[in-house]
Amino acid sequence: MAKKVANIVKLQIPAGKATPAPPVGPALGQAGINIMGFTKDFNARTADQAGLLIPVVITVYEDRSFDFVTKTPPAAVLLKKAAGVEKGSGEPNTKKVATVTKAQVQEIAETKMQDLNAADVEAAMRMVEGTARSMGFTVEG
Amino acid sequence: MEWTKVTVATVNEAVEAIANILTENGAEGIQIEDAADYEHLKAKPDQIIDLDSIPHLEDGAAVSAFFPETVFIPEKLPLIEQRVAQLTGFGLAIGSGKVTLAQVADDDWATAWKKYYQPTRLTRFLTVVPSWTDYQPTDEREALIRMDPGMAFGTGTHPTTHLSVQMLEMVLRGGESLIDVGTGSGVLSIAAAHLGVNDIRAYDVDQVAVDAAKENFALNPVTAGIDAHPNDLLNGITTKADVIVANILAEIIVPLIPQAKALLHDNGHLLLAGIIADKEALVRETLAANDFVVQEALHMGDWVALITRQKTDDD
Repeated sequence: MAKKVANIVKLQIPAGKATPAPPVGPALGQAGINIMGFTKDFNARTADQAGLLIPVVITVYEDRSFDFVTKTPPAAVLLKKAAGVEKGSGEPNTKKVATVTKAQVQEIAETKMQDLNAADVEAAMRMVEGTARSMGFTVEG
Repeated sequence: MEWTKVTVATVNEAVEAIANILTENGAEGIQIEDAADYEHLKAKPDQIIDLDSIPHLEDGAAVSAFFPETVFIPEKLPLIEQRVAQLTGFGLAIGSGKVTLAQVADDDWATAWKKYYQPTRLTRFLTVVPSWTDYQPTDEREALIRMDPGMAFGTGTHPTTHLSVQMLEMVLRGGESLIDVGTGSGVLSIAAAHLGVNDIRAYDVDQVAVDAAKENFALNPVTAGIDAHPNDLLNGITTKADVIVANILAEIIVPLIPQAKALLHDNGHLLLAGIIADKEALVRETLAANDFVVQEALHMGDWVALITRQKTDDD
């Protein structure tokens, strides 16, 4: 049967390791979702991506049932992967820790475009490039 | 334990960068609210979306992270504020960039979801009860359907469930055989068992549903020993039944009708629910084309349920 959407919750949480602790607990508890039901299923479906932060959009229905969709990792995670570093810079203005190319920025922008709600690839690239710079990455090319 | 919720008010463009700042400052997870998510929101085929009834930001975005009390927030806060303010220098619009704090206690949310699950009397005789409550029948005729809400299914109190259980009460006399198509949480099979059906077969195309139904059957002594099986509608099923019940979408009911025709005993009933009002005509046309007559139509809100049987020479 068609179900009426009551709430939409968007989180970024570690793959395979969601727990009822925040942000899962407060976000889903208030939305009326069975928290353990969600963590069990999310962890089962993302276990093979352990170590990555995974964006997830949870749709809650009027009868408090729910479904969820996992997305590709956040732009920052993809940038770190592209640059081959574990962490961004704590002082991005003065301390540069990695370099990514414009082509890599474009590739990430295209992958993430829909998730970013960007109007076009240029807008998505601006967001990804800004995120890269905010992490102390130099964008070349 | 107390948690501190740190929220940054911003705009869509800076969401990813701010989420990363919070993550790199020790947040284990992030919550994002973004007005842009709702601008082009489209309903999937099985969804009804009414933006007025979904809580959301009208404009801008908010990125939140939770820190346990072991993290010294007065030390973190200036760092986070500084990193957010720097984002304009990296070409990102940040909106107000205002950082706010809120204290959240475990108790506020750990049990918050359970308040949505209360015992609900579906009909004169049947009450759906969350498995963790110790609710007792108020009179000897009241039977309990114990349910553990899982991911795919909620409280078992949706209008279509009400209508389905009402139909079962109207049709069943005890001793019948029944097929529950699209069993979901298994609520209708449990109701049917309470109403005296002694041969129940429950099917669902979704393995999550099959597992949930099995768990709920085990919670109810009346369905102990009943199994649920994965199956696409009635494909491949050959054993006939007195009653076939389906609480699914109209579009899925349409191909089910000719299958049900072949699997009903003489004088058997096909009970259909999950039909949104504007699809009633489509279902009725398909029923007529397959020699079913509608004995009774039940309505609740926009939902319709139909009690049907095969046409006889007397019709």
